[in-house]
Amino acid sequence: MNTQDIVILKDQAVADIRAAGTPADLEAVRIKYLGRKGLLPVIMEGLKDAVPAERPEIGRRANEFKQEVGQALDAAKAALTAASSAATRGHFDTTIPGAWRGLGQLHPVTQVIEEAIRIFSMLGFTVADGPDIETEYYNFDALNTPGDHPSRDTQDTFWLDSGELLRTQTSPVQIRVMESRKPPVRIIAPGRCYRRDTTDATHSANFHQIEGLYVDRKVSMADLKGDITFFAHQMMGPNVKVRFRPHFFPFTEPSVEYDFSCHVCGGVGCRVCKQSGWIEISGAGMVNPKVFSKVGYDPEACTGYAFGMGVERIAMIKFGIEDIRLLYENDIRFLSQFA
Amino acid sequence: MKVPLSWLKEYVDIDLSPKEVASLLTFSGTEVEGIQTLGGDFTGVVVGEVLSVSRHPNADRLTVCQVSTGTGDITVVCGAPNVAVGIKVPLATLGVTLPNGLKIKKAKVRGVESFGMLCAEDELGLSDDHKGLMILPPETVTGTPFAEIAGPPETVLELEVTSNRPDCLSMIGMARELAALLGRPLRIPDPVVKEEKRSVESLAAVSIEDAEGCPRYTARVISSVTLAPSPRWMQRRLTAAGVRPINNVVDVTNYVMLECGQPLHAFDYELLEGRKIVVRRAREGEQMSTLDGSARAVDSGMLLIADAARPVAVAGVMGGAGSEIRDVTRTVLLESAFFKPSGIRKTSKRLGLSTESSYRFERGVDLEGVEWASRRAAQLMVELAGGSAAAGVIDCFPCKPARKRIGMRFQRARDLLGVDLADERMVAIFEALGLTVCTKEALRCEVEIPAFRVDLDQEADLIEELSRIHGLDKVPSPAPDSIIIPGADDSAARALLVCREHLVGLGLSEIMNYSFLSEKLLNLVGFGNPGNRILLPNPISADHTVLRDSFIPQMLETLGRNRARQAREAALFELGRVFFKRADGKNGEEDRVCVGLLGPVGRSGIQKTQPVKDEDMYAWIKGLLEEFCRALHVESVRRGGMSRMNLATAPCDHGCFEPGRAVSVSVAGESCGVMGLVSERLRNEWRLVEPVAVMELSLAPLLKQVGRVPVSSSVGAYPGVERDVAMVVEAGVSHEGVLNVVSGVAPQELVGIRLFDVYRGENLGKGRKSLAYSMTYRSLDRTLTDEEANAFHDRVKAALRKELSAEIREGA
Repeated sequence: MNTQDIVILKDQAVADIRAAGTPADLEAVRIKYLGRKGLLPVIMEGLKDAVPAERPEIGRRANEFKQEVGQALDAAKAALTAASSAATRGHFDTTIPGAWRGLGQLHPVTQVIEEAIRIFSMLGFTVADGPDIETEYYNFDALNTPGDHPSRDTQDTFWLDSGELLRTQTSPVQIRVMESRKPPVRIIAPGRCYRRDTTDATHSANFHQIEGLYVDRKVSMADLKGDITFFAHQMMGPNVKVRFRPHFFPFTEPSVEYDFSCHVCGGVGCRVCKQSGWIEISGAGMVNPKVFSKVGYDPEACTGYAFGMGVERIAMIKFGIEDIRLLYENDIRFLSQFA
Repeated sequence: MKVPLSWLKEYVDIDLSPKEVASLLTFSGTEVEGIQTLGGDFTGVVVGEVLSVSRHPNADRLTVCQVSTGTGDITVVCGAPNVAVGIKVPLATLGVTLPNGLKIKKAKVRGVESFGMLCAEDELGLSDDHKGLMILPPETVTGTPFAEIAGPPETVLELEVTSNRPDCLSMIGMARELAALLGRPLRIPDPVVKEEKRSVESLAAVSIEDAEGCPRYTARVISSVTLAPSPRWMQRRLTAAGVRPINNVVDVTNYVMLECGQPLHAFDYELLEGRKIVVRRAREGEQMSTLDGSARAVDSGMLLIADAARPVAVAGVMGGAGSEIRDVTRTVLLESAFFKPSGIRKTSKRLGLSTESSYRFERGVDLEGVEWASRRAAQLMVELAGGSAAAGVIDCFPCKPARKRIGMRFQRARDLLGVDLADERMVAIFEALGLTVCTKEALRCEVEIPAFRVDLDQEADLIEELSRIHGLDKVPSPAPDSIIIPGADDSAARALLVCREHLVGLGLSEIMNYSFLSEKLLNLVGFGNPGNRILLPNPISADHTVLRDSFIPQMLETLGRNRARQAREAALFELGRVFFKRADGKNGEEDRVCVGLLGPVGRSGIQKTQPVKDEDMYAWIKGLLEEFCRALHVESVRRGGMSRMNLATAPCDHGCFEPGRAVSVSVAGESCGVMGLVSERLRNEWRLVEPVAVMELSLAPLLKQVGRVPVSSSVGAYPGVERDVAMVVEAGVSHEGVLNVVSGVAPQELVGIRLFDVYRGENLGKGRKSLAYSMTYRSLDRTLTDEEANAFHDRVKAALRKELSAEIREGA
């Protein structure tokens, strides 16, 4: 027996394994080659007759033979067993529904707030907060709203017996933040707001805003435009266009309103944008120096921009929600669409 | 405000399309909300005269008319209620297409042939009026082409003027904006009045008793006027601007108000007692009847115009019924004045009366333009009503304020806008807007503000003018910089988002309810302390009268609503604020989370069909609480080798839960909220048949550990040894009680204890139960031998026997 014989013997064994169709056939193959009276012991027996110089090589080959044939036998046996059990039991129904406790989902309003926080965080904004029950000072006076401005009327604002009110905007958070910190300031403040609007498809007496404020030595209208445009692209997609129109708010000067191009029709005009191609988002502007004076900032030493956006409005256009009331109806069939 | 484009063109040359004009205005701060075209091509529409009217034989509401076209008579079927013999009406003849798209064809209407149509204003595209036929003045010549009456088609812009720009509430104001935007000259008429010799002072006198409320009052007298309809061009313009023509005198006052923004009032001079105007505060208890026919109580906060005897107008708001222009009026006293904006606003609000006049006065009219408006109106009255104006004007203007001057630094403007704008361009913009640049130095200029710009009073306001007229689109929009503010920390604000994310991960869906609800609902659920609630004094509806001091009522309502819509299960949370009066009586608010579970939410797949027992529901909501607390790193206490969350539950009583199914929750020794199974009484309210669990927690105690960084410790390299213990105890012994006994004697090596069976059976005896625990003993430095583990376990068993009188079931 030499090394050549062992190689030939291995090929034979592999061929026999391949030909075996049942576990019994395989067992016969195993006995034939590896059994106590099989061919491998014969090889080992022949070892002592071999030339001493060849012995180690033959020994190595013999071990290799034992291992490889053994593995091939195991693999063939496993394959046969699997085939036979599939044949007797059949496959299980792989289409059966899964059974794992499901995930919930955030309310669409929260999703927009979280997304806005993510976007502005990239720019270094941090989240600030203020109370829902505000004083007239923070909600109106400090924001340079004239004493007889119609928005202060009981028709528009929920006044409380204490003389306080439910904030009509998130802008009072600007004042609270500026009173408590020196510039520079870079915050966004999401929160609930309240106005005495009669509820309809686009108005809700209880709604959310996200306030933004950036104050530093040289903040410009160009910064406002650039940052809002970045936000628009992140929130609504890279193809959205933004346009700015001059407007009037007591707490900003100059003031602007901005619109996003309609994401549904891409700006050509459709039902969602009332054929205009644009959707009004919110107001913004450069902080009025009178507001800086109220909070003790030097209007000569700093400038800043502020914006306030309606969260429900963004949620409605982003998710194609046609009626704001759906957001407060809490029908789980509706909410589960936003998973 | 409605602005007919042709009217604007009187003052500035415009060669842009209406759309281009609209865009120019919108992007300079006056939003154009709509563009309307009035009238159209009226070829084939003539003035028809109705010769006879008879009832339609087959229809009650229709008539059959013979109408003269001027060249012949035709039969027309008509449905208008105001058709009558003799009236002159626009008649659309066969073949005409009206501006609203209607084609006039010969047609049989209910069996009667009609050869044309008598038209209403809306059918002609002149207004929205469809009350009846448009009846033309009787002197109109039958057969005249209607185009001669209607004039060419008119384009009307509908503008939204912001509240700070009263100067834009006029044709000249808007023309000034366009002139500045287009770089074209503005043409303002210079009215010249043909005056008679008699001086106005010889005919009337004015005295101002409240110069603060009325800094300026002018009066003119125009006599020998003949009241008649205004000429067609003026009627057309007024109609296009949304003002109904009345007669030549009243129309002139309205026309001039629309032209320059100054409200005017015309009194019948003969009806003014003492030929005198007194501007004074109303007296307490005074009454007057206004033009609209109502009697109004006025008070001392209101400014009145009076004659020698009685009030004749509520200043700046509405004229009085006793001095108004009548058909027989021969002499007119024309008022043009300035009233203090805040006074007019208060009066208008208190009377609940808002007019075109009060709308403008309360925003601020042009103090310097008062006399111009008077002169302009006098000129037109003389021309159009055949009047004769007395010489001069009474102009009570005791205290002429100096014009404001505002300095502006050129570089400041460039910095604030972030746009490169040349000094000269800035000066040019100011001048184009009618402002006077008095000095221009190297670094700054000083601008004098005319009285019509009530909105300009600081440097930033001037900079806004530059951005408006130069165009915001020319301000660059650079890629943002990320700027990190040192020390900025928002972990507290973000903790709420972290909570929401965890709850979603636990399978709950977020809901959002209003912050206010009905007191009835709060009382029904019986949560909170009614005395500490914050009521809304001016709610919008009976469903929203009180600020919520708990989320549970709306949570139950939400579960009920979804159940009614056939939802079989729901796992919901709401996170937000509740409101209450604090102990010190002040209003307070607090962040809370509320969870509501309905149906087999703790099961998955086909197991969901098994009925849900109270115990299941409780286990699920408690499991949620534990997992939520674990996610928030609620503080742990270590006893022996075991570490347990410092979370405690105890039975409590609460009206909204089933008796014995209410649990108070405390975290790290701080009371934090409640949870439990909702009472049958409340479930019946919303037809919730299955068990419902709710939980409401204050977030502050839970959030103390958010953001804590876990510190790792060794889990050991050696295997543990498990030992079980089964015991029979009194039914009142709690799991917590067992844990306390075990941890009291447990060695460091006891690292785990797990309850794996609870059994109650008759064979155990009344009031007894069996509990089975599996305990894991493990050492950090060696493999424990069986003997060591048994020794530990025996110590535990002994303690259980001693402390709980437990009957240990050996060999179990």
